[in-house]
Amino acid sequence: MAISYALKTRTSLRIVVALYILLAFVSFGRVSSLELGRVEGSHSVATLHSEYTSIAAGEIVWLAFEIVPNEGWHSYWKNYGDSGAAPLFYWTLPDGVTAGEPLYPTPHRMPIGPLMNYGYEEPSTLLLPLAVAPDYSGRTIPVSVNVEWLVCEIECVPQDGSWSASISIGNIEFSESARQTFSTARIALPELPIWSSTIDVYPAQSRLKVFVSEAELGTISEAYFFAEGEGITEYAAEQQWAQTDEGLFVDMRRLEGGFEATSGRGVLALKLADGAVRAVEIDAALVLEKATVAGESSGSKPLVQASLPLWQAALFALLGGMVLNLMPCVFPVLSLKAFSFIAANSKTASGRKQEGWAYTLGIWLSFMIIVAALLAIKSGGAAIGWGFQLQEPAFVGALVLLMVLVALSLSGMFHITVGIEGAGQGLASKDGNKGAFFQGVLAALVATPCTAPLMAPAIGYALTQPAPIVFLIFSLLAFGLALPFLALSYSPTLARMMPRPGPWMEKLKEALAFPMYLTAAWLLYVFNLQAGATATLALLVAMIVAVFGVWLWQTFKGSVGRAIAVVLMAGAISAIVYQPLPAPGVAPQGGDATIQAYSEENLSALLNDEETVFAYFTAEWCITCKVNEQVALFTDDTQALFKARGIKLLKGDWTNRNSEIANLLADYGRVGVPLYLLFPKGQSEAIVLPEVLTPGIIADAVNSVT
Amino acid sequence: MSLIIAIFFSITALAVPINEKKAPDFVGITADDEEIRLSGFRGKTVVLEWTNHQCPFVRKHYSSGNMQRTQRTLTEEGVVWISIVSSAPGEQGHVSAEEANRLTASRGGYASHVVLDPQGKIGRLYDAKTTPHMFVVDAAGVLRYQGAIDDKPSANRRSLENAKNYVLQAWSELKTGQPVSEAHTKAYGCTVKYGVSEISD
Repeated sequence: MAISYALKTRTSLRIVVALYILLAFVSFGRVSSLELGRVEGSHSVATLHSEYTSIAAGEIVWLAFEIVPNEGWHSYWKNYGDSGAAPLFYWTLPDGVTAGEPLYPTPHRMPIGPLMNYGYEEPSTLLLPLAVAPDYSGRTIPVSVNVEWLVCEIECVPQDGSWSASISIGNIEFSESARQTFSTARIALPELPIWSSTIDVYPAQSRLKVFVSEAELGTISEAYFFAEGEGITEYAAEQQWAQTDEGLFVDMRRLEGGFEATSGRGVLALKLADGAVRAVEIDAALVLEKATVAGESSGSKPLVQASLPLWQAALFALLGGMVLNLMPCVFPVLSLKAFSFIAANSKTASGRKQEGWAYTLGIWLSFMIIVAALLAIKSGGAAIGWGFQLQEPAFVGALVLLMVLVALSLSGMFHITVGIEGAGQGLASKDGNKGAFFQGVLAALVATPCTAPLMAPAIGYALTQPAPIVFLIFSLLAFGLALPFLALSYSPTLARMMPRPGPWMEKLKEALAFPMYLTAAWLLYVFNLQAGATATLALLVAMIVAVFGVWLWQTFKGSVGRAIAVVLMAGAISAIVYQPLPAPGVAPQGGDATIQAYSEENLSALLNDEETVFAYFTAEWCITCKVNEQVALFTDDTQALFKARGIKLLKGDWTNRNSEIANLLADYGRVGVPLYLLFPKGQSEAIVLPEVLTPGIIADAVNSVT
Repeated sequence: MSLIIAIFFSITALAVPINEKKAPDFVGITADDEEIRLSGFRGKTVVLEWTNHQCPFVRKHYSSGNMQRTQRTLTEEGVVWISIVSSAPGEQGHVSAEEANRLTASRGGYASHVVLDPQGKIGRLYDAKTTPHMFVVDAAGVLRYQGAIDDKPSANRRSLENAKNYVLQAWSELKTGQPVSEAHTKAYGCTVKYGVSEISD
């Protein structure tokens, strides 16, 4: 039994005393503890243990290095994240003995300001293997190690200490007292890799796919991947996960232009729905998707937020619905609703609640009808996406009429006396629950031009999901839209906070008419592009007739006059709905001869000619597209850059339905526009640009391929 | 909704300095109360050094004279060396202009300029994470190196013995017109002590 200690550190007397006590044990020939020594650093205490008192040649000696940081301080994992340092071991070992890589317990996240560190705020134990060669001939193994470990609170203090010990060669003898330390340390290690996995690395994102079914793993409530190497994730960015039929996916944000990913190793930390916690080592195969997205090669679809957890998608839908209340085309209508509440202070509380729910129901039903229609058309095989309503000129025409009527009523042209406000719509101005219900319908309808273009990408996510989820998401969207007034109808306190009714309401209403007129003008422009000038003239005439009908209704109280008014209005509306449509696909171009229209044929012809192609997919009703085109695509700089590099532009106009474009969008995992693709010279694999463009983004992409 | 998210992502994505791309331009106030602009040094290679004189990793390089030697070698060959302090007021490493100058004098620093960045604007522009964190911008204003000062992530002075100084390596390659062989390394050291209130910027 030859265990000797030689501890050299800059530490306190206490340790020396402890050492003497240990030495006393040794001199009695019985080692009760294989604690090889403790070092009290300024902000942590470290202890080195050996699992064996004696070992045979050819075996592995396990040492344990335990760090106990002071309260509030932390030590680091092997990948420290954004800042810090992993412990460093400087060994002095005899020939025939080699130190292996330390095994680390599962780390934690420790956010510090805008950065993220990985490590331990509690005591942690690293396991250190020393491999003894089978032909090791010495009688003891003299081990000497200098360790440097960093502990930080906000500030960092490096700690260091040296240990030396010698372990005898002979029969394997465990150290009884170290047993507890080692078993605890082994429990804290992540499990060995048990599932196969891959990491798909895209320029700005990476996706860990762990091929384990939900049945095998159980339902999880939290997943986080600690990447061991650089280039997999931005440490401070949120990770998103999803359990799919294929397995567990974790999406991580990557720094574009940052480190190349070289290792797929790491630790996956899981929290299960039943509260259990697991951590598993991952050794994933890297799939470098350098060319970004390719239509044909499998598994390289772009990462739409497909693995957005359901609750997050639901939350976004709810918030999105609430934001819709502030949209220029919705807000005026909602102000009417607000006025009705102001005026209805005399109503009973229960009456108000009923109205609130009737209003919610109106919105919800309208959304459900639109979604059901969409799903029905989709399942029929038609290639459509969100915003499809606006690809239908009849719908756009009807919306123009609706907008104009609402605007005119706001302007004060109609003074309908039956209602508590002047919504102008006969149905919507009826008193009571029925009126509230139709106000909900009206709100949902007027919201459409705003939901379609602005929410297309988010809604696009929902539409890729199974039907129940689609309905759930849209229900929440509807609920979000209804929420402000539902809250108002429930809370007398809120209702009391509304301003007093007065003449100012009239003025405000008149002012709010103008955003409605503008919405109508924009829709008219869309309609004109879709259906052509003749149809637009017909629409305008029909509109004027309809307004005339309303005026007649207002002016003549007699039944004959009103009958004529109804006939006129009905005629005008049916004229709008049934007017002849132009053949699809004749969407007018912007008049710029250098831009070709997108078609598969045009694209492959250009690529065959070894051209670099920038294809953009847009629609007249897509506000995001229009903004991108204004601020990034059709700036002088960008156009000059395209010209200088000889880049050919292809425009896919989705203002009207077009299955070729819809198929291409589907290839890239999209259900709506915008989509921007840059095809490097003659290559069929495109670089996908973000949905929101800046001139810099375009220039960077162009520079990277030309 | 998603539009808002997309804008957020594209903005943060733009903020990252990328090798072989134009280094983000900035205006800084030096300890000598001078206003300097990165683009004003076009024609010269510029080294940016994030520093915090109380950080043990920084202290390793200064107390051993390693950083000063590196600064001297480079500045004598015409390189502009800018040390940047992004510690927020009240945080470790925050210095007033007088303190900064006193430090330069007492440590015998050879930095051409010491820029005070208490709001962390330049630090965030460069996504500086640690002290030290180094960047090398070439004469054309293109970022050519980013990362650690050397390959020994230790606060111990002994680690300097066999260390490979990445900045010296980048400069010796740059001046002979070669590509930088190790252009992106993982920075090590203390967290840059940004002020909390600035995160929303």
